[in-house]
Amino acid sequence: MKGQEFVLVLFLVCAIAISLISFLIYKSTIKASSEDGAGIKNPLKKRLYFLLLWGGVLIIIMSVTIPKSPYFMYTEQTPTMVINVQAMQYAFIMTDETENPTFEIPAGKMVEFRVTSNDVTHGFAVYNPNNVLVTQTQAMPGYVNKLRWVFDEPGKYNILCTEFCGIGHATQTGSMRSDFIVK
Amino acid sequence: MNISLKRITSTWIITILLLFFTAIILGITMRFNQGKVISIDDGKFYGIMTTHGMTMIAIWAVAGMVGVHYLLSRYINVGAGLSKFAFIMTVIGVAMFYVTTFIGHFHAGWTFLYPLPFKNSFAWESWATPMFFWSLTVLGVGWLVWSVGLLVAIFKKYSFSQTFAWQHLTKKDPEVQTPPLVLISAISLVGIVLCLLTAVVILVLSFAEIYSDGKFVNDPLLMKNLIYFFGHTIANESLYLGLGIVYELMPEISGRPKFKTTWYVALGWNFTLLFVLTAYFHHLYMDFVQPLGLQMFGQFASYFASIPSAVVTIISIIVLLYGHRIKWTITNLLFFIGITGWIIGGVGALIDSTISNNIFLHNTLWVPAHFHTYNALGNVLLILGFFTWVANEFSGSQTDPMRKLKLALLIIGGFGFVLMFYCGGAESVPRRYSVYPAEFTRAALFASAAAWFAIIYLLGMSLIFVDIFKKCIRVYSSSHSDSSVA
Repeated sequence: MKGQEFVLVLFLVCAIAISLISFLIYKSTIKASSEDGAGIKNPLKKRLYFLLLWGGVLIIIMSVTIPKSPYFMYTEQTPTMVINVQAMQYAFIMTDETENPTFEIPAGKMVEFRVTSNDVTHGFAVYNPNNVLVTQTQAMPGYVNKLRWVFDEPGKYNILCTEFCGIGHATQTGSMRSDFIVK
Repeated sequence: MNISLKRITSTWIITILLLFFTAIILGITMRFNQGKVISIDDGKFYGIMTTHGMTMIAIWAVAGMVGVHYLLSRYINVGAGLSKFAFIMTVIGVAMFYVTTFIGHFHAGWTFLYPLPFKNSFAWESWATPMFFWSLTVLGVGWLVWSVGLLVAIFKKYSFSQTFAWQHLTKKDPEVQTPPLVLISAISLVGIVLCLLTAVVILVLSFAEIYSDGKFVNDPLLMKNLIYFFGHTIANESLYLGLGIVYELMPEISGRPKFKTTWYVALGWNFTLLFVLTAYFHHLYMDFVQPLGLQMFGQFASYFASIPSAVVTIISIIVLLYGHRIKWTITNLLFFIGITGWIIGGVGALIDSTISNNIFLHNTLWVPAHFHTYNALGNVLLILGFFTWVANEFSGSQTDPMRKLKLALLIIGGFGFVLMFYCGGAESVPRRYSVYPAEFTRAALFASAAAWFAIIYLLGMSLIFVDIFKKCIRVYSSSHSDSSVA
């Protein structure tokens, strides 16, 4: 299951559970015999348990997910290939270190995109051959964001803009290169 | 109750709801365009997008202010003057803003991410960018004066430490009790003042660039931090104002004892201020040049912001309601459903604020999915709950026609609408696209379905609005100053 499918299922399960709990609370207020019904016994203790439980869950999720942040990925490795990306309204230009246009990236090897912009802020989002967003960074004028990634799956990858950049935002797949082949 | 305060509150409510309808219709237009049901050109689409976003942010920020201003007058001496001044400034600011988008064709989005407003002059009128910033200036002055005025009024009654309920941290039953409404309003108002002061910095820097003929240029990373500190904070504080209203009214309407500030409520809401001011870093996760420590703190603050406000509030509401017979009205039902919607939206937000998820969710439709959940199904319903309650106060009438139908339309329409966003986000569809590339095969279907669900939501909202409007206008024909004009 890809990341996007997992988070959708996780969200829907949580949303249904929260709705069900709300419904049960509502039903308890209809069934109760009086305004001073039994209510919740020892609410202070239960509140403390719930807070500790929730805090613990958050710490566990953080400790699992933080190491998977893009800032820590492949930091010990030297990239096989460096691709300079210049974003502009409304195109991306990708070149190698000798400033030749880059169209091919080796599969299974770590590559580094050095992403900047010469006008406004853009989003540099890489979509795999199945049209799933696999990684991204922002293209900001005056700054270079270094995105390191390994493309295991061969095929054609599209680049789309994910930061609103003006009237041509949706058509940033323009006349200039906005895709590459992983071989 | 001061009749002048009633009248300006009524004027605000009618204006907010009319603007809300307008903004919903603009939103439906966008989704129908993305769904290929209608076709509008890209410039118009992004103009509509900018107007929709700015209108929604503005009206729900002021709606919370209207609510807490009205209710704070139970505890502190605050007249209608501040609210009237803010209303005039808001009307002028919104009118100027509409001129920039509808006549000047300005369309840099409500987040006006630097340097887009300065780099697209061929796409909109050259005067539109400075006028956009002037419209923000007018809105900002009105809201800053209002927020500071309310804080000053609170400080006249309560000392600084009492306002933030610090005496509850050391004593179980202190001599001076800080009502939860005062505590939550003060915490939220401090946040609002800080984000409006940040807006002042943004405006000064923007005007410096506009009027220096290119001699002064801003730093994009600094501007992005400032803009998202402002935008994220004001959106979140609006919600907290809604929660303050729920703390005040939910027990009263439900026939339960009033909430009291306890040590954990005081501690929780004080921490909320810290977390809400730092959670905005999650908007910059994909800017890898942002210092690493801020990225890490962004996830920490986004996660732990849920403990003080959400968990404390959720448990307080459960303890208040569970197992007690409650007289349900449209008001407390809207509060209850709004709290549920807010929690569900919070789950969507927590998922997105996890950096390792953000890399594939950032600026996809997952983003509008979660913020529409905790606005359309959270904050809007909390504020509507206040509107229905205060309309009854104004009219003395407790009529509540078609309650089940109204709520069913809001729930079916609202959840159906946001579900289409979540599905789009899970399919990697980017946000803010006027039309979707062909490879996103189901994006147009999601968009048109969302538009129809939004129409269902709008129908429910219309039924509620008719009732509120009929009751609110009665306040203008009365000179009484008691609690009811009927």
